[in-house]
Amino acid sequence: MKLAYYPGCVAQESGRELDLATRWVCRALDIELVEFPSFSCCGSGFVDEANEVLNVAINVRNLAIAERAGLDLLTICSTCQGMLTLANRRYSDPNVRARVDRALAPLGIAYRGTVQVKHLLRVLVEDVGIPELRAKVRRPLAGVRVGAFYGCHLLRPSDETGGEPGEEPKSFEALLEALGADPVYYRGRVMCCGFPIQFVQPEAASRIAGTQIAAAKDHGADAMATPCPLCHISLDAYQNRAERAVGRSLDMPVFHLPQVVGLALGATASELGLSRHLVSTDPVLAKLAPGARA
Amino acid sequence: MADATVSVPLDVYRYQPAVDHEPRYQRYTLDLAPHTPVLTALLKVRAELDPTLALRYSCRSAICGSCAMQINAKSRLACETPVGPEVASHGRIVVEPMRNQGVVRDLVVDQTPFWRQYARIEPHLKLDPAQPMPADRPNPMTPEEVERFHDTPRCIACAACFSACPAVEADPAFPGPMALAKLYRFVVDPRDHGRQDRLVRIQTEGLWLCLRCHLCTDSCPKNVRPSERIRDLKEMAIRVQGPTERGSRHAVGFKENIRTGGTLHELKLVRQTFGLAGTAGQVGQGLRIWRKKPEIVKRPRPIEGREELESIYAALDEEDGAR
Repeated sequence: MKLAYYPGCVAQESGRELDLATRWVCRALDIELVEFPSFSCCGSGFVDEANEVLNVAINVRNLAIAERAGLDLLTICSTCQGMLTLANRRYSDPNVRARVDRALAPLGIAYRGTVQVKHLLRVLVEDVGIPELRAKVRRPLAGVRVGAFYGCHLLRPSDETGGEPGEEPKSFEALLEALGADPVYYRGRVMCCGFPIQFVQPEAASRIAGTQIAAAKDHGADAMATPCPLCHISLDAYQNRAERAVGRSLDMPVFHLPQVVGLALGATASELGLSRHLVSTDPVLAKLAPGARA
Repeated sequence: MADATVSVPLDVYRYQPAVDHEPRYQRYTLDLAPHTPVLTALLKVRAELDPTLALRYSCRSAICGSCAMQINAKSRLACETPVGPEVASHGRIVVEPMRNQGVVRDLVVDQTPFWRQYARIEPHLKLDPAQPMPADRPNPMTPEEVERFHDTPRCIACAACFSACPAVEADPAFPGPMALAKLYRFVVDPRDHGRQDRLVRIQTEGLWLCLRCHLCTDSCPKNVRPSERIRDLKEMAIRVQGPTERGSRHAVGFKENIRTGGTLHELKLVRQTFGLAGTAGQVGQGLRIWRKKPEIVKRPRPIEGREELESIYAALDEEDGAR
């Protein structure tokens, strides 16, 4: 399988461990990642707030790059996934399309709308497949209770994402089971992490993050896992603030999606960049077969 | 002959604040046809098993908006949620009152917070005093003008969105999805004279607390799509007033941040949003993160073809007259 790799900004900067883990997992699963240094930021929903048509245009430019190479696009961020999917959809509106084309045509950029935007979660579950993944597990995550945390833009608006039902997704839990982990079901798994207002109203954002982490913990989770690096910032890098906001200690290790996959497939902690997390993942590694901590 | 029935275990939230120490869940099991609405099931419970169960309902036809409640943790209308699929995917049906509103008794909530937020946005036409509504004929709008807000009048004020909204839960300053969708409806109404004032005020009255999580849009039984109308309000507010609030500074700052290099400069964004003085308050957290992730202070490598991006900005950002 060959895909245009759209890492997104965070995985190239503060969330480099996500990029590292993605590359490890894709190598292990024979997914060829084709890189395009010309991809721009997806706008992260903020550009959409400031200028909707501009947001569509910059993402249609990204989609056109993949289309010229004849590839579908792989995302590793729920927000990138949401914004690129939104662009595909909004671009089909003739009014939006006319304005976007006026900006792109002078640059020789044309987009026919053929690119599928696929998040890594979907590629793993639908294209690689659960049985194939299960067969490749070398270090089962046995006895580890993991709370999946999907991230809003992977799921909603559910009539626009083209994926599974936004209210009751199951793919991440199915994946976790295939890796040998015990998925934990809790209300927060489909909720918001608070990230979009982390800069606007940090107290409220932290309260939201803390509520979701606390719910996972109260349902017995040893760890959480997320397909979105922005959720990861809220849940891991800002967990100290979340603890303050909900008035209790949480100590919840939070993995990126490809990190849990990598662990089960035999990668070491350093190959997955686990030391870069703010909340230590050691309590989880201690539960696994030897070798994980290297 | 009746349809085949399924056994429906209902776990219903019961609570009388004046009497009970804490809420409890009561199990009722009924045999029902799969297409039976949850509301019908609850009315059957009340008629045949337990007359003390309190709930609010009226039309049973998804028009009045009275029977919104949480059904297996989703905020929705009980009258249009069939029992079959819920039992199939959850094995039971947990019925709870809506969130973000206090419980009066059992499934009945006190909707005061919801309506107070609605009143705040002044949901009525504000006419130009110089041009009062004509007395002898209607005040017409063109089909194109009506088209701009034809989604929002479908709202039946059921409060499912208010119940589902994490921003409402986290911050009482947030007006909630329904109130903001209604605000949008007046802002784009060509007969309304308060557009400018409404957009300026809402910037400081909670607009930027929306998380764009789209839980409101997913929970709305009438497909009003509040999260998308809130997005529209944000863009219009920026156009009217410029980025005056932290939220709008963040949105515009982000847009400008990637204009030149094509990729996000995280540290610069902190300064753009908080200003120099506000950034000082973020230093402690920044240092904590920097120790593990030193890249946060580095300038990212610009993308190839960044001049293309600048050209797109020039075409679309200036065309719109945005700042």
